[in-house]
Amino acid sequence: MKERHLYAPAGLRRLRRALSAPLRPLRFTALIILALAGPLALSGCDAPQKEEPPVEYAPSEDRTLVIYTSHKEEVYRPIVEEFEERTGIWVDVVSGGTGELLKRISRETEDPQADVMFGGGVDSLTAYAECFSPYSCQDWDMLQAEYRSQDGLWTPFSSLPVVLIYNTKLVEAGQVTAWSDLFSPAWHGRIAFCDPGISGSSFTSLVTLLRVLENEDETSGHSILKALAENLDGRQYQSSGQVLDAVADGTDLIGVTLEETALKRIAAGEDIAIVYPADGTCSVPDGAALIKGAAHRENAGRFLDFISGRDVQSLLEKQFCRRTVRTDILPAGILPKAEELPLADYDIEKAGREHDAILMSWAFYQMGEDSRLYRR
Amino acid sequence: MKKFFGKSFRVRLFAGFLAASLLPLLLSSAMLLKTFRLRLDRQGKQETAEQLARVTQLLDTLYTSFHQVSEALKNDPSIAPVLMRGQGGSTTVYSTLFAVTEDSREYARFDLYDKDGIWLYSTQNGPAAGELPVNWGVLYASRQTAGLAFAAAGAGGNTARPGFVLSSAESDPARPDSASADAGASGVLLRGAAQITTREGEAAGYLVITMDRTHLNRLLGGSYGSQNDLILLNPYWRPVYASDPSLAGTLVPRLRSLLLEGADINDKASEDSYGTAYLPDLELYVLLSRPQTLNRDARTLLGTVTLGSALVCVILSIFLGLKLSRRMFSPIKRLQGAIGQVVHNDLSVRVTPSHDDELGELSRQFNTMVEALKQNQEQLLANHRELNEAQIRMLQAQLNPHLLCNTLDTMKWISKIHQVPQVAVMSTDLADILRFCISPEEFVPLRQEVEILKRYVEIQTIRMSGSFRFAVELPEELAECEIPKMILQPLVENAILHGLEDVTDGAVTVEVRSTSDKQQVWSTPDKQLKICISDNGRGLPKEMEGPYVCREQSSSRHHLGLYNVDTILKKNYGAQYGLFLSRRPDGTGTAVTATLPLTWEEPKNA
Repeated sequence: MKERHLYAPAGLRRLRRALSAPLRPLRFTALIILALAGPLALSGCDAPQKEEPPVEYAPSEDRTLVIYTSHKEEVYRPIVEEFEERTGIWVDVVSGGTGELLKRISRETEDPQADVMFGGGVDSLTAYAECFSPYSCQDWDMLQAEYRSQDGLWTPFSSLPVVLIYNTKLVEAGQVTAWSDLFSPAWHGRIAFCDPGISGSSFTSLVTLLRVLENEDETSGHSILKALAENLDGRQYQSSGQVLDAVADGTDLIGVTLEETALKRIAAGEDIAIVYPADGTCSVPDGAALIKGAAHRENAGRFLDFISGRDVQSLLEKQFCRRTVRTDILPAGILPKAEELPLADYDIEKAGREHDAILMSWAFYQMGEDSRLYRR
Repeated sequence: MKKFFGKSFRVRLFAGFLAASLLPLLLSSAMLLKTFRLRLDRQGKQETAEQLARVTQLLDTLYTSFHQVSEALKNDPSIAPVLMRGQGGSTTVYSTLFAVTEDSREYARFDLYDKDGIWLYSTQNGPAAGELPVNWGVLYASRQTAGLAFAAAGAGGNTARPGFVLSSAESDPARPDSASADAGASGVLLRGAAQITTREGEAAGYLVITMDRTHLNRLLGGSYGSQNDLILLNPYWRPVYASDPSLAGTLVPRLRSLLLEGADINDKASEDSYGTAYLPDLELYVLLSRPQTLNRDARTLLGTVTLGSALVCVILSIFLGLKLSRRMFSPIKRLQGAIGQVVHNDLSVRVTPSHDDELGELSRQFNTMVEALKQNQEQLLANHRELNEAQIRMLQAQLNPHLLCNTLDTMKWISKIHQVPQVAVMSTDLADILRFCISPEEFVPLRQEVEILKRYVEIQTIRMSGSFRFAVELPEELAECEIPKMILQPLVENAILHGLEDVTDGAVTVEVRSTSDKQQVWSTPDKQLKICISDNGRGLPKEMEGPYVCREQSSSRHHLGLYNVDTILKKNYGAQYGLFLSRRPDGTGTAVTATLPLTWEEPKNA
């Protein structure tokens, strides 16, 4: 009994203590756990960071180059890779349509993202002259005279004559011979033509057509555009590739495209034949240009030297069905000789100047009777 | 926080449980995850390193054998002249070619070209590529290095490489987008070339080593883990070979753009981790892509499990908190109720201990305490009573009654002898009264008390020459009930001496009756005895009406009789008993009522 008396108050005291501060021992335990676990967790966090090796493969800034290109991958990729192998410069390629990329470049004039615009007819490049800075390539002397840029604004890459094509199953040879055949009612609504506002090559074709058929009389240009628009019957394709598809599968009978593209399709066995217009075609080079304010100007120069250099140029005909712009390369014999082509004059400067005007006129005729009424 | 926790014991218990269960759980699962991950990472890194080393070794060995082939062909005197002449189909050349490529033919195709890049000899059956551009790619590179040079043949090896569009079956211009997506078995992936010169140092031709997907699959298959992907890259991180061909078009461009941005390819968010090695001879990067050891699914699973356990902890904590607090609270509540009863002076209350724990002990202690309290109270009461009895005895012993009794007897006999009957009566009565007084009993039957009262009245009648009447109404059934001795005499004396002062034809009446008072439920006896002594005297001062109260000592000196009787009644029976003073209902005289419990035996605690 006496023992119980002694025990009970102690129990009571303990009970009261436990009731009044139940969290205190817990907090203490938590502190101990934290103190034990903290360094462990921290050491766990630290360990992998020490093992992490620094990035050692990435190129330094002076070994990079950013290229905007409107060429197809099969064209730009071997050239870019060979350029990398030879120079040790990493090339970052952004591809897209000529018009799209040129608009992007003009948007980015404040802070240029690219160094070189690779591709697009030089007439299109000239239209955006304010975005580019002149560069005179190493082998300027070796370029054919008609492909030299006088102010060095662009560097030519290849020469691409505009040609007519026809479906060999549906059209007999000799039915199409010249630009003027485009106005024949026989092809009404069956002509494959790409929107010149989208495709640079189509614009070149349109200008060529104008130059060839236009006489001294300046106003006839409009009637030519009008006549062509009417014979197209309002149909235009959205990419130059579709022109070839349409002619090859018989949707259209004839079409207007570049020699290079047509030859590649013929090589692939499609039912297409080429006609070099008898009344003359023109061979507008496509080129590359150094973008104004480029971050890697030196590397860009090396690239321009490379594409106009002998090694690339000597591959053009065999590899890409393109004509070289150099004088020191013998033709491989795959393409008809340049001298045999009935070439017409093509004023690149003028085409560049009139770029917008021609496109606007074309768009205007393309819209048809109703819009003309509206305009009045 | 403190307020919240302070609010309820239950909440505090719950918080305590939660902290005690959740904290270790979360900490341990976090640590587990961490260590698990670290361990897996380390293991993964080690495996990656091993596999990379294996692949690197395989490729190095391959390069060594290629190098031996190229050296052998360069040094063979018969080869260069034949190539110089552009002569094909020479069995000597073929036998040499086959002899030196004995070991490595399984992993590559060996061709000999003349100095213009025209194909002449091949270790492979069937048609071979007719021509290679000398100023391009690997032939150009071999001239630059004057040794064995390697170059990637483009992603997938199809169209992207100069391969003579118009003549080569490898290329497919109609599908320009196939460069990365379609890496056919025949696609050339990697080319190596070495220039073969004549003794005079004149360029004679080229040895071209071509590896396609089949070759590389054969060489590298099984050297990297089955769940991993192996990618060979050129120094500019363009894909040469990918074990999973789709990766060349998806992963590699992504990693390349990461590198161009200067970012780390091994970012934490990625599903895969990458290990790399560089082969300077082949100018190739080996990239081993391995699934992240703890991928998103595993992490989600672990997270879910942890969350689930945490939830279980929370539920368990709530449950235990409620359970334990209820278990603790029910005894405490019972204890609280019992304490409340004790506060209201109910000492009979007891708490049954529920468990043999601290709270059970507490209950037992409480019981002991109440028991002790009760005993103390009873002890105190008993002490009081003893004291009172002693006082009463003291009062009673104020006279030495025996001497008086004997004297009175003697007086009685003397008066009888001398024929004075009044003296005889008085002395007889007085002796009886005295005898009654000194008798040891404290309680006497009412009848006896009344008898003594009559004696006293007899004496007073003689003293006062019979100037008052005296009557007693004693119902027979009450005659034997017990009352304290000598309580009526002082009251009657009071009535005679004070009430009937200057009153002629006075009357004193003693009236005994019993009542039952239902209202006083707390009283022990069911019935009360009321003894009313009334007179027709001059009445009572107004202020004395009502229950008798002892006033200041000086005035009560006159009422010593009343005081004593009241005290005796109260001490014997309790405070609720005593005297009640009132005027007679008819206006004159006083009535003094003594109230006491109706009992036929002495009070036990008397």
